[in-house]
Formats: sequence, structure tokens, C-alpha cells
Amino acid sequence: METGIKVLEGSCKGCVNCIKSCPTEALRVVDGRVKILSELCIDCGECLRSCREKALALDEDDWDLIRSHGPVVLMADPTFCAQFSHYWSPGLVRKALASLEAKDLFDQAAKAFDLAAFATARQVEEASKESLPLISVYCPAVVRLIQVRFPELLHRLVRTENPLETGTLLWRRQNGSNEGVILVTPCSAKVMLVRGPVGRGTSMMDHVVSVKRLARDLLAAGPKVDGTGTDPVGSRWLAWALRGGESRHVKAFSRKPLTTMAVSGLRNTIDLLQDLELGRLKGVDFVECRVCDLGCIGGIGNAESRFLSELRLSHQPVEWNVTESEKTELSTLYETGVWALEQPIQPRPRPSLADTLDEAMKKLKTMQAVYAELPHIDCGACGRPSCRALAEDVVRGEGEVTDCVFKLRERIAILGEEITSLSGKLPHAFHERKHAK
Amino acid sequence: MDSRYEVEFKVRGDDFLAAGEASNQIKETLIMLGVPSPISRRASVITYEAEMNLVIHSGGGILRAIITPEKLTIEAKDQGPGIPDLDLAMREGFSTASDKVREMGFGAGMGLPNIKRNSDCLQIDSLIGKGTILTATVFFHQGEGNRG
Repeated sequence: METGIKVLEGSCKGCVNCIKSCPTEALRVVDGRVKILSELCIDCGECLRSCREKALALDEDDWDLIRSHGPVVLMADPTFCAQFSHYWSPGLVRKALASLEAKDLFDQAAKAFDLAAFATARQVEEASKESLPLISVYCPAVVRLIQVRFPELLHRLVRTENPLETGTLLWRRQNGSNEGVILVTPCSAKVMLVRGPVGRGTSMMDHVVSVKRLARDLLAAGPKVDGTGTDPVGSRWLAWALRGGESRHVKAFSRKPLTTMAVSGLRNTIDLLQDLELGRLKGVDFVECRVCDLGCIGGIGNAESRFLSELRLSHQPVEWNVTESEKTELSTLYETGVWALEQPIQPRPRPSLADTLDEAMKKLKTMQAVYAELPHIDCGACGRPSCRALAEDVVRGEGEVTDCVFKLRERIAILGEEITSLSGKLPHAFHERKHAK
Repeated sequence: MDSRYEVEFKVRGDDFLAAGEASNQIKETLIMLGVPSPISRRASVITYEAEMNLVIHSGGGILRAIITPEKLTIEAKDQGPGIPDLDLAMREGFSTASDKVREMGFGAGMGLPNIKRNSDCLQIDSLIGKGTILTATVFFHQGEGNRG
């Protein structure tokens, strides 16, 4: 299994800062290098934030290499338009990108985001009362978190494809083009939209580059653009870069009033999903979770401060009133089903300790016994995020108790005592002589 | 014989901040054992509601989960005031929780009905002034070899 994160082996010092930050305990330090357990990784990017050596990075493609092949087509995440102080609208960003020989798919994106909101609104309206609230699938890290840690909530996920994917599909249909499309991603989670999408076989997009990389290039080139004659680009889709933007958009298309909730940040997301799992969110119709603070603008792959991005986006005028002709067009597109995920989203449970319950119970007992002997201070020196994780690795055959420095010291002390007591013993022959005297 | 796994938690009364911790850990244990998710989901509803009952009504108690290859048993034991009218307590919406507790969003009178709905077998022994023992059982049905 792949992840959206890569380890830069040369930079990793083997410190254990990152392993503590992982919400699914998917990191280990083995032989002085960090290792990602891909079956547990949800691509949230928390480890990237915690790494001082910058040894963890977005697994993006080489932008310089892609560019050297000529003009490019970009499917940019909404956050991209919030990175610049002087290109403050999508129309201006478009003009600036054109000077880099990059074609944007803003119009297709605007339509796809409209369609996603429209389709989600329909699903919420048509859902039975017991199946509410439904959960947004826009943040791929949230989807993976639910697959790994909250499989009971999978049936609440809406079946809406990520609009960045749908937008690319719309463009390909429109132009019949096979040209490579590059996703401009604000985070490690969206890298996976291209590398290993959930709910579909393969992506319509071909490469992935971070918002940061592209924004830096654009800032370095610093093309001068003026606002006159700028194409108007729909602005509702930009709201998805902020927490609550999707909910607002879904409400704009709903035919009845909806109660929605939007949270951002990993801890808030986990807390909310826990509440939901325990059935405490009665009366809520739709839940939007983003693992990054403030929403996608808080993603680790952005160039701009999330606070400035928020300020900028919140000052963008947004036309929330949808015209009748827009609605008719969306309703036609909705009927084609182009907005829907191809496949149901499957659970991705953590592998159990053993194949049979009986065997697993035995191992669990051993694990508890191992754990009981450990110091319980979760120091991380063994390369595991917690003493519990070490105990689990030991029973899974992926580690030894003496990986724990405290246990190692104990063993050395025991051995030392044994040596001392052995050294006090006299050889047999000496005993004889003593007796003789 | 040896095929039995037991976990026990002390639940403190009126500790709303820690409420839910015991049920969370029991759920993690079930996942580790490879118990299928529909069953661990039912189990976590039962443990959570039983835990909340200990927190809200009985001034705390002991929550225990006993797992064998055939079934999961949740036991909640307290030395609280006891339940005077069990039939009434099993009714949806009936609650003796205080206004303060209700203001926090708890005590909606769904606890026991929720436990009953999610367990295959439920037994409640209660003695006024002495305490209550709640025993809820969930069968794994497929028996051994369950995987998540």
C-alpha cells in the first residue's frame, strides 16, 4: 500500500519526534530511520509538521521535470487561489499561470464543486432519518481515518467523488483530451487522490505537485497582471478551502433547511467522530470534517500562512444564490452520475493479533504481560510511540522486550550480578588446599 | 479453559470528563482480537451506556468485559441507590437524572433501552439501597475464526 508521504532517508536522524504525533501510531524508528506502516497511515501529514529535520515530505512529482516537457494542464486545489496577495482572485491567478505556460481548469473545477454540493444535498435529503448525519468525503485523510479507526461509520459517508477528480473528468469529456493533468495539492492526503484513490480504480489525473512548489515558482517569476478584462470565475468552490465552505455550499443547493456541523483539526475530527459513533449527534444532517486546522488552507503543502489565507478568502465575494439555468444544467449532469464514486468504500481495519479468536486472546494476554513489565512512560527510545505499541510489536514478532532501554538495563544489571557472584567462587582445587591446611 | 480474556475498569461517579474511556478501551481490545466491526460496534454502545449509568446514577462502580471465543459479556457493578421500578427504567425517555446532568446533554432516558437493543441477553439485578449488577451478553455467532 502507498502513502502520500515519503521519507528522505539521508535527512532522518532517527529522533522520535514524529512517531508521537501520529494519530494511528503508524510510525516506527527502525535502525535509526523512520518507517511508515502504510496499512495504518491516513496521510494526515501530522508527522511532517513535527519533523525538525524535514526528513518527511509530500510524495510529489518533480515539477521541474514535468515543466521541461512543455505546456501543462493544472487541476488546482481551491487553496491555490488563496496563496498570493497580489493575485487575489482566480481570474488573476489564471492570468499569472498563463505566463508560466500553465493552463488551469478553474471553470471545470467550479462546475464540479457545484455538482458535488448538488449531489451531496440530494443524498442528504433522500437519506432516512436513522442514517443521518451523513459525512463528507472531501478530506481523504478523514475517509482513511474512518476506514482505519471508525469502520462503523462507513455507511454514513456520502458517495460523492472528489470534485477535483470530477472536474478533470468533465474536462476530458469536453475536450476528448488525453493530455496529462497535474493535481496541485495542499496536503499529503490529496496526493493519494492521484496515487491511490479510495472508491475508484485509477485517477483521471496523472501527476501531483504541491501548492507550495508551484506558488514559489509563480512568485519567483512574478508575472505582472492587471485586473482588466479578467474572466469571471465562479467563486463558490473557493469556499471549500475553508472549514464550513462545503457545508455552506451543500445548504445552497438543498431544497429543505439542513443542520450541518463543520470541524477542523485532527483532534476535533477524532472527537466528533467519537461522538457520532456513540450516537450523540441527533438532529444533525451533515458533518464536514477536515484534519487540518482552519480547513484545507491549513494543509502542510501550502506556501501561505493559513491565517492570511483565511483572511483573504473571507473577503472574497461569493455568489451563493444559484440561478435557475445553473440548477437545470447541474440537474442534467447529476442524472448522468458523473459525480458518484465508482466503488463502495471498504473498511481497512488494523490486522488482528492472530487468525483465530482463541489464538488472538492468547497473544493479547502475552501482550498485557509484556506491557505490565514495561516502564509506562512512553519515552519512544525503543522506536515505538508508546509502551503499548512495543508490547504489541513484541507479540507480533516485530520487536524484542530488550528494545526498551529500561529492560535492557535490567538485563545488564542481572548479568552483572551474576558475573560478580561467579567471580567470588573459587575453583575446586583451591577448596581442597584450604581444607588441607 | 484458558480461553478467556478479562478487562476491568473502575468508573468514578460524576466524572464526566473521563466518561467514555473505559468503553473506548474495550472497543480497541475487541478490534485487536479481530472481532467483526458490527459486533464491536454493538459492544461499544453497551459499554458506553453502562459506563454512563455508573457515572450519572450510582456514584461510580466497576465495569468489566469478559471475552470468550463464543461471546462477550459486559458486567457493570455498583453500590448505588438501586433501581426501584425496572419496567419504568427500561422505558425510552424515562430518566431520574438531575437537571444539571441533563443540561450537559446526558440523562435522556435512552441508556437502558439502548443496552437492551444491542445485547442478545440482558440481566439486571437491583436491590434498593444496595446496588445494581447489570450483565449484558453479545454472541459472536460465527464462533472461532472471526476476523474484522
